[in-house]
Amino acid sequence: MAGKGGATSSTYAPSPTTQKTKSLIFGNNDVDWVRSDGREFHQCRPAFFKTGAVNCASGSAYAEFGNTKVIVSVFGPRESKKAMMYSDIGRLNCDVSYTTFATPVRGQGLDHKEFSSMLHKALEGAIILDTFPKTTVDVFALVLESGGSDFPVIISCASLALADAGIMMYDLVASVSVSCLGKNLVIDPVLEEESYQDGSLMLTCMPSRYEVTQLTITGEWSTPKLNEGMQICLDACAKLAEIMRACLKGTNSTLEES
Amino acid sequence: MKLIISEMVGLSIGEKHFIQGGIAQDIRSDGRKRLTPRPINVKTGVISQANGSARVRMGATDVIASVKAELGRPTALQPDKGKVFINVDCSPTAAPMFEGRGGEELSAELSVALRHCLLGGKSGSGLSSLLAIVSQWNVFESNCRVKIWVPLFVSGAGIELSSLVVVEGKICWDLYIDGLVVSSDGNLLDALGAAIKAALSNTGIPRVNVAAGASGDEQPEVDVSDEEFLQFDTSKVPVIVTLTKVGKHYIVDATSEEESQMSSAVSISVNRQGHICGLTKRGGAGLDPSIILDMVSVAKTVSEQLINTLDSQIAAAEAGEDES
Repeated sequence: MAGKGGATSSTYAPSPTTQKTKSLIFGNNDVDWVRSDGREFHQCRPAFFKTGAVNCASGSAYAEFGNTKVIVSVFGPRESKKAMMYSDIGRLNCDVSYTTFATPVRGQGLDHKEFSSMLHKALEGAIILDTFPKTTVDVFALVLESGGSDFPVIISCASLALADAGIMMYDLVASVSVSCLGKNLVIDPVLEEESYQDGSLMLTCMPSRYEVTQLTITGEWSTPKLNEGMQICLDACAKLAEIMRACLKGTNSTLEES
Repeated sequence: MKLIISEMVGLSIGEKHFIQGGIAQDIRSDGRKRLTPRPINVKTGVISQANGSARVRMGATDVIASVKAELGRPTALQPDKGKVFINVDCSPTAAPMFEGRGGEELSAELSVALRHCLLGGKSGSGLSSLLAIVSQWNVFESNCRVKIWVPLFVSGAGIELSSLVVVEGKICWDLYIDGLVVSSDGNLLDALGAAIKAALSNTGIPRVNVAAGASGDEQPEVDVSDEEFLQFDTSKVPVIVTLTKVGKHYIVDATSEEESQMSSAVSISVNRQGHICGLTKRGGAGLDPSIILDMVSVAKTVSEQLINTLDSQIAAAEAGEDES
């Protein structure tokens, strides 16, 4: 599947201003090092989104970023289980699973049990839970193929599926990660880059509100580097949200476009 | 689950206002200022069967960490590195909500968080040492809160995983780090982080003598000494500082009452050099990026004091243990 609007509309690499500072970084370090897919350090993979991928769900979305392929279905709002206590705000139930063939080694995806609760945390701040009291919305994500940066793709795709299901949200949620490889920050890392990373930063935000809903950092980061990483991610998130918005608008007018 | 927990704290509207108002005026219900942590009490060597152990108390929060070392085989992917496993257990004896699945959920979240803090990225590769992982857990999360984590071990810091190797590709030490929540009054993650740091500094790994002559695929014979022990240098192990945002302000070392009022919390792991080793946010409310950066710098200041207090407490605990 190719991006609908060609390369221009579907890439969300951070703005040229940030790229300028990046080129400095290249200069100082191993310049000969090339990313396996030929991208620049601050260039994202082309993003492709499609809503309405699953017919029987209230809303669904399919996302493809390079080799990372994710499908998210949203069901509900449905009545909360009887055993649960009364709640005057809605509940969100998230589940992330991997197909057995998603990873290079079969069944490796089982290591990602924490993703379900992390997805919940990333999304709950963006959803207006007051709009569906006493009920539950289910968000089921399935990683069809793991090609790196899986979790950011899951989050972005899930927020698109929620929007497709007509669940009220403050803003779309976009997520981007950067890996720290040596002295370089590499955006939207592929699987191979993730396995060699010294540290990683994943930022989830609501770009229109300029609010960070989730931030996860591993590895050792100095403050300037942290600033840089966050700025790159915020910038890329804003652009990613544009692509997601375009996808939503596209389905409203013509199915062809999506 | 979260709802149940916040309801279990059982605060009236008046109490909630009292807590929020106190935080706004920089004097909390227990008399602390916003950035004043509770006194920490560290006791090491509490479990004699373990290679190292520590008990950390902060107010009514009480946790135990133990470190056990066993000989194992390194993985094929990383023949020059030892393995570290971290697990946290929340027993229902600490709080009724830990019973059954409630405890499981919390245990899993804490374990993941600490694993991130201690073992490096998800992939666990590419790091010469343990990485601090910042992750998040839901316990006592009422509405939303941001946890800033300072990851525990960062690249180039923490325990050198390569120091756990006995014979490359054949024998290494497997470290099993277990945390137990004995009593919970908020800020579990910070307490567990401190307990693990203390337990690691209390840990002695037996010296191993490898019998010469083994070659090829044979598993070499080893002789584990019961007299000589190696110690870890834990000065680089980061500490975790959680900043809980209540209203417009954020506080350190929140009690469970305060945690029930949070809008978000950020846990930051910081090492002695002041580098961020991990960070995680929890709670639904979004945060402005500039606030997060502000929290990071506050966490650095707070972590400095925390590391110093912890180091002196650990030293005192070790000295006390030697005497007895």
